[in-house]
Amino acid sequence: MNKKLIYSLVAIAFVFFITSLIIFLKSRSSVEPKVENPSKSVIQTEVDPPQLLKVKIFYFTNKSRYMKPMNYELENSPIKIELYKRFIDLIIQEKEDFITPLPQGLRLRTLYYIGSKKLLVLDFNENLVTRFPAGSSSELEFIYFIVDNICFNFEEVKMVKFLISGNEYNTISGHIDIENPFYPDYRYLRIN
Amino acid sequence: MKNIKLLLFGLLLISWQLFPLSIQIRSFDHDGFTRIVFEGDQSFQFKIRSSDSKFRLEIDKKVRVEKEFIQINNSDLLDKVVFLEEKRKSVFSVFGKGGFEIKRHFVLERPFRVVFDLVKSGPVPGDQKPLKISHAEKSVDRFEKNQESENEFKAGKQGQKKLIETICIDPGHGGSDFGALGKSNLKEKDITLKVGKKLKQIVESRLGIRVILTRKIDSEVSLNSRVSIANNQKADMFISIHVNSSFRKAARGPETFYVSLKATDQESFELARKENKSFDEIDQKAESDDLKMILWNMAQTEFIRESSKLADFIQSELNVLMNTINRGVKQAPFRVLMRAAMPAVLIEVAFISNAYEEKKLTNDSFLDRIGQSIYSGISKFIYYHNTMNR
Ligand SMILES: [Zn+2]
Repeated sequence: MNKKLIYSLVAIAFVFFITSLIIFLKSRSSVEPKVENPSKSVIQTEVDPPQLLKVKIFYFTNKSRYMKPMNYELENSPIKIELYKRFIDLIIQEKEDFITPLPQGLRLRTLYYIGSKKLLVLDFNENLVTRFPAGSSSELEFIYFIVDNICFNFEEVKMVKFLISGNEYNTISGHIDIENPFYPDYRYLRIN
Repeated sequence: MKNIKLLLFGLLLISWQLFPLSIQIRSFDHDGFTRIVFEGDQSFQFKIRSSDSKFRLEIDKKVRVEKEFIQINNSDLLDKVVFLEEKRKSVFSVFGKGGFEIKRHFVLERPFRVVFDLVKSGPVPGDQKPLKISHAEKSVDRFEKNQESENEFKAGKQGQKKLIETICIDPGHGGSDFGALGKSNLKEKDITLKVGKKLKQIVESRLGIRVILTRKIDSEVSLNSRVSIANNQKADMFISIHVNSSFRKAARGPETFYVSLKATDQESFELARKENKSFDEIDQKAESDDLKMILWNMAQTEFIRESSKLADFIQSELNVLMNTINRGVKQAPFRVLMRAAMPAVLIEVAFISNAYEEKKLTNDSFLDRIGQSIYSGISKFIYYHNTMNR
């Protein structure tokens, strides 16, 4: 009986020792500092960029609640922010066969890019709120028309934030929060 | 017999070491209360001991934490959380800057969370002196039994979820904010008020539940005030009623929204395209840190799963009524829902921008039927909620 007890105790102690050892080793490996990927700040070379940049712009049609793509070419620029501006100017032009979900007289005042957050801030004129037709769907159509198209074509942009005449607003017409930046929602897109 | 006992004890000790519970803590100041959430990677049993300016969360499991000391900088009410292991017990001690009390606490599943809503207590804020506690002294964590209230809870399997007693109905827009306009000059704000009042009357008469409206007349109420009314009145459900409008004139059908901020990316979109699946079927990327920050900022975060269920029930009823294409339940960051500390949905009953639906919206009996359908959805959710929590 005593022998059995000793064997059991030894067995328990052994298992306990092994598990403690595993936990110790595991915890040691988990405290190793994470090293940031240093290759992120690679400077892009500006060797003869193609004159025209191929882009896909997704549009709503009256028949579908999803946006479908059209191919366009955009005059290229080595300055990214200039390229974004050209792209936005292109997408906010009225197109006859498609629905451009924008209020009348909408104009991009300025824009800037925050590299650390991969965030593009777009500052539109006041017509975004004063001439917006209201309605949740209208707001969502406008927001994701802009956000999805930019993020789809420029992978370095992960989020988009809207300003109106340089100011933060809570909503465009009482529904969707625009104080926070937007990630794209590609559920609005269809390739075919 | 002795051997078995020893073996069991040994196994218990091993499992205690081998499968520690991992807990993440987050807190945020909301309108009139501060919320602190303990999120576990598995469920756990706990005890709460509270006194004037601190409370302890005791867990009978080994807990793995990133930091044993968390200084809370973004709160007017909370000071810090200290973690200690006591005899086979893991203890989180939450310290306030002054006196506070637990207004409510509840358990949420998937992931398992224990949520505390705290409010200031005792003297007026000017009289409060912050506790002077040296961070180095572990003795700060020793609660003196005689000072401690009898406020001890044991979390059983039932948790502390409460039954639904109050519903807040929010008729969208009002006053100088007309909302969307129809071609016949029909205004969204008038329809939302009519539907809201009808719904209140049906819910009160059939369910005997207290219903509060965020506006009873054609008045302007800010989005923040609407949600504050719901939070302050401790509503258990928030239903915002709107009428939709789209740039696409063909768009029609009811839609029910709840808040969600899923990050989507081009990679998943391309994957969906390659695999010929719809984008919704593809696992989307994990939430980024920025997105987590936005989520933690929202009182609604803890209720997203229940809100989605509520949206499902209401939308199915509306689909039957409208007999239109199922536009379904959708997710979007609605401002009025984000700060709601309860299950919350926003219903777009029909499209005023669609000529056919605009005409329907002028018909009072149609609005009656909308009220009936939303009521049916609500009552199905209440049944689901109450039976799930029994
Ligand atoms: Zn509305």
